[in-house]
Amino acid sequence: MPTIEIDYDDLQTLIGRHVPLDELRDKAILYAKGEIESVDGDMLKIDIKDTNRPDLWSAEGVAREIAGRYGKPGIPEYKVKKPTLTVRVDPKVSNVRPYTVCAVVRGLNIDDNMLSQMIQLQEKVSETFGKKRHEVAIGVYDYHKIKGPIRYTTVKPEGIKFVPLEFEKPLTPKQILEQHPKGKEYKHLLDGCPEYPIFIDSAGEVLSMPPIINSNHTGKVTAETKDVFIECSGFNLEWNKSALNVLIAALADRGGKVEGVRVVYAKGNKINKTLITPDLGPKKFSVKPSDIIRLLGLKLTTKQMVNLLEQARYSARTSGSKIDVLYPAYRQDIMHWRDVAEDITISYGYENIEPAPPQLATTGKELETEISSRKIAGVMTGMGLQEVLSYMLTNKDNIFRKMNVKEERAVEIENFISVNWSVFRTWLLPGLLEFLSGNKHIEYPQKVFETGNAITPDPAQETKTKDARKLACAVSSTVVGYEDITSIMDGLLSSLGVKYQLKTRTHPSFIQGRTAAVVVSGIELGVVGEINPAVLNNWGLEKPVAAFELDLEKLLDKP
Amino acid sequence: MYRLTDEGRQYLEKGLPEINLVRALDKPLSVEKARSMVENFNIALSWSKKNGWVKLEKGNIILVKRPGKPPEQDGLELMSRNELPDKRTLRTLINRKLVEEEREDIVKKAQKLVGKEITNLTPELIKTGLWKKTKLKPYNVTATGNKIYAGKRQPYNQFLDIMRSKLFSMGFEEVRGQSIITEFWNFDALYQAQNHPSRDWAQTYSLKYPKEGKLPDSKIVKQVKATHENGWKTGSSGWGYKWDEKKAARLMPIAHDTALSPVTLASKELKVPGKYFQIVRCFRPDIIDATHGVEFNQMGGIVIDRELNFRNLLGLLKEFVTETTGFDKVRFRPDYFPFTEMSVEVSAKHPDMGWFEVAGAGMFREELTNPLGVKDPVMAWGFGIDRLAMMKLNIKDIRELFSKNLDWLRKSSVLMG
Repeated sequence: MPTIEIDYDDLQTLIGRHVPLDELRDKAILYAKGEIESVDGDMLKIDIKDTNRPDLWSAEGVAREIAGRYGKPGIPEYKVKKPTLTVRVDPKVSNVRPYTVCAVVRGLNIDDNMLSQMIQLQEKVSETFGKKRHEVAIGVYDYHKIKGPIRYTTVKPEGIKFVPLEFEKPLTPKQILEQHPKGKEYKHLLDGCPEYPIFIDSAGEVLSMPPIINSNHTGKVTAETKDVFIECSGFNLEWNKSALNVLIAALADRGGKVEGVRVVYAKGNKINKTLITPDLGPKKFSVKPSDIIRLLGLKLTTKQMVNLLEQARYSARTSGSKIDVLYPAYRQDIMHWRDVAEDITISYGYENIEPAPPQLATTGKELETEISSRKIAGVMTGMGLQEVLSYMLTNKDNIFRKMNVKEERAVEIENFISVNWSVFRTWLLPGLLEFLSGNKHIEYPQKVFETGNAITPDPAQETKTKDARKLACAVSSTVVGYEDITSIMDGLLSSLGVKYQLKTRTHPSFIQGRTAAVVVSGIELGVVGEINPAVLNNWGLEKPVAAFELDLEKLLDKP
Repeated sequence: MYRLTDEGRQYLEKGLPEINLVRALDKPLSVEKARSMVENFNIALSWSKKNGWVKLEKGNIILVKRPGKPPEQDGLELMSRNELPDKRTLRTLINRKLVEEEREDIVKKAQKLVGKEITNLTPELIKTGLWKKTKLKPYNVTATGNKIYAGKRQPYNQFLDIMRSKLFSMGFEEVRGQSIITEFWNFDALYQAQNHPSRDWAQTYSLKYPKEGKLPDSKIVKQVKATHENGWKTGSSGWGYKWDEKKAARLMPIAHDTALSPVTLASKELKVPGKYFQIVRCFRPDIIDATHGVEFNQMGGIVIDRELNFRNLLGLLKEFVTETTGFDKVRFRPDYFPFTEMSVEVSAKHPDMGWFEVAGAGMFREELTNPLGVKDPVMAWGFGIDRLAMMKLNIKDIRELFSKNLDWLRKSSVLMG
């Protein structure tokens, strides 16, 4: 969820009236699905919960949503003047970064608030909505430093030189990717491209190399800038249109005059036509009041719904048994009548809805595995053992090397944060030994157990893996041995009414001649014995340990 | 000193009952017949069976093996000559009440203590009644004995079991979780577009091995694909992109409990009306600190019926929160989840801490339910259960839920509910 910073006074100016802070916190901000995280002087830190509403990620968007419920209902109108500027899209971009949409906004009076909001919105949209610039990258330029028409084309990595933002020397695109901080940060987005995308004007001045960096000359916006050229580029045309609309609506809300740009896709591009962007015309939808009443359980009249929609910045009117709505072009999230229903509900206020618990006759039912795990834990604790709980993620060193067993295939994480937690446990006993190794200073004897899932590869399953419920138990003391652990295991298995046999086994984690397999109905379900001193050394344990581990899935399958 | 009891003398004279039984078994005998022939028949049968000499088959007693002279017989004979048998035999004879300790010895032992102030009350004193002639020394009763650490359930597990029992009492059925799942269930079936920021709603782990799983029933896959691409028959416009089956088949550690809800909805065993819940160990690549563990648990579920509305959802949540947290002030606010519309954030008011977020919930979108073959409305909810557990267990650091400290576990008190 995006967190944005907004100046409190600026927000009130944009709303067009004073909203006391308490009221903003408890009521007004909810209309923008926001939560005030902190207040530092005039600066509000706000979490916007909706990750699919980039239009809400700026002071302008938040204000727009609040203003609808504070005296400025209805759909905001945005006029787009006829284009004077042309952007020609070279087919060479189609395999690199195929789409761009652009706009010009004139007559801006850029102050600190506006500038910081513009930068913040641009950053949030390209990072979150644009998937870290992959899907959408945004450039804003000083219009007067550009000589149209602009070409969106590609160049060889060393085919041109320009001064990137905040640098002094001209560099080739290749050098930018190697030397500029933004180049290093985003260069993976151009991996494998034989040529890099650039915007270049008719004077041969480079505007930018998307999605990496603007040029220092044209791509710098300051308080002196009055008119701007904006472009969005990426792989999905619709998303770039949405991103552009969000940015332009915010600037228009600050008094900017929007002017279209002719974006000409020549033959050979993914599309072959001329787009006039931005398209800020409202979009149409229609909803059935009966659907909404059934979904909400609220007896709203059609007239009430129309009012609530207007407050949510729609334009709404009844048309037979339906309500026809127009919604603003910056809303790209409306896919279904439910999305409209939600806006009605938010205008209505969740706090005004009387909860009505559903009356359903259903019967609670427990899971077999949980019932048996609980019963087993009951018997184990009855014998004085302490239950512990470990993470399922561990590492190969713990489950294989330290246990003196050969490495097997385990379920492994690719993008782990720490190698300590990079593999799913295949058995539970290593977790118990780790636990004991962390408690050497605590009074002995120590007797612990754990029930939980271990995961192993299993090609027969839909997930190619299998979760199996297991039980492990370990006891440690200055004097402890085979009889101590078998008597605990016998106490458990007799209580469960399980008939079992012990068969001599060797297992590298245990001492040879003091290890047995636990056999139930001819199937080996586990191992019991004294832990191999080599394993004790690996874990830094200084007292003997006797232990067992059982597969509960198979054990409890047996009649 | 030891002596033969009356019963012991009787057996010495007439022979052990089990030997008498074996002797009578020239051929198999019915139980009734044998009972009439052998004195102390029940004892005879029990010991001869235990020794593996006879077996019972269809009401007949059959000789399995003819025994030699049993040690008990030797023991009785030795006793009659005032000699002691070996310890093991002596113990058996005492247990069978064929030999007893001489009463005179008991009295002698007890009399040594008469008139004294004594610490330990002995069996001899109790049997002879001579305790009346002793004084039992008073103790310092304010001191406790040696520390015993009772075996206990792990506190977090205690908490989860309490949650479970509350949900059962509210008519919920538990669904079994899984640790590894395809992206299909974790994302696609929940209507999270494959390349849309809503997929980034939570950063997730991917697997190095195994990498790819199997997708479910092809009808469901086709419908999910169509819904993502163009809305299918759900009344939605869809996300408008090309859905990739290969991406959906990728395996990942389960990132949120809600991933199990579409599995439940697609199941042939789905009941309507139905209430289901799951407690799931979830995995996300968070940097680990006091509020982010290596792993965390989520508890969530669904309610399905022919008619359910948003007011019902709020009603259920209010009941839930009051039941599970014990706090009766509950607040609802708009929220966002890619798979629900409406979505709601649920907070409860803690008497000291004030409002805190307990749960997120909403009504599942048609884009989720319809492709799975579900036409009825479904409410979905999920609890931030780790946070609730930390409050109940008075823990400040989330890592302590999986405490590695034996001392803390030993000293922790049992959760009462």
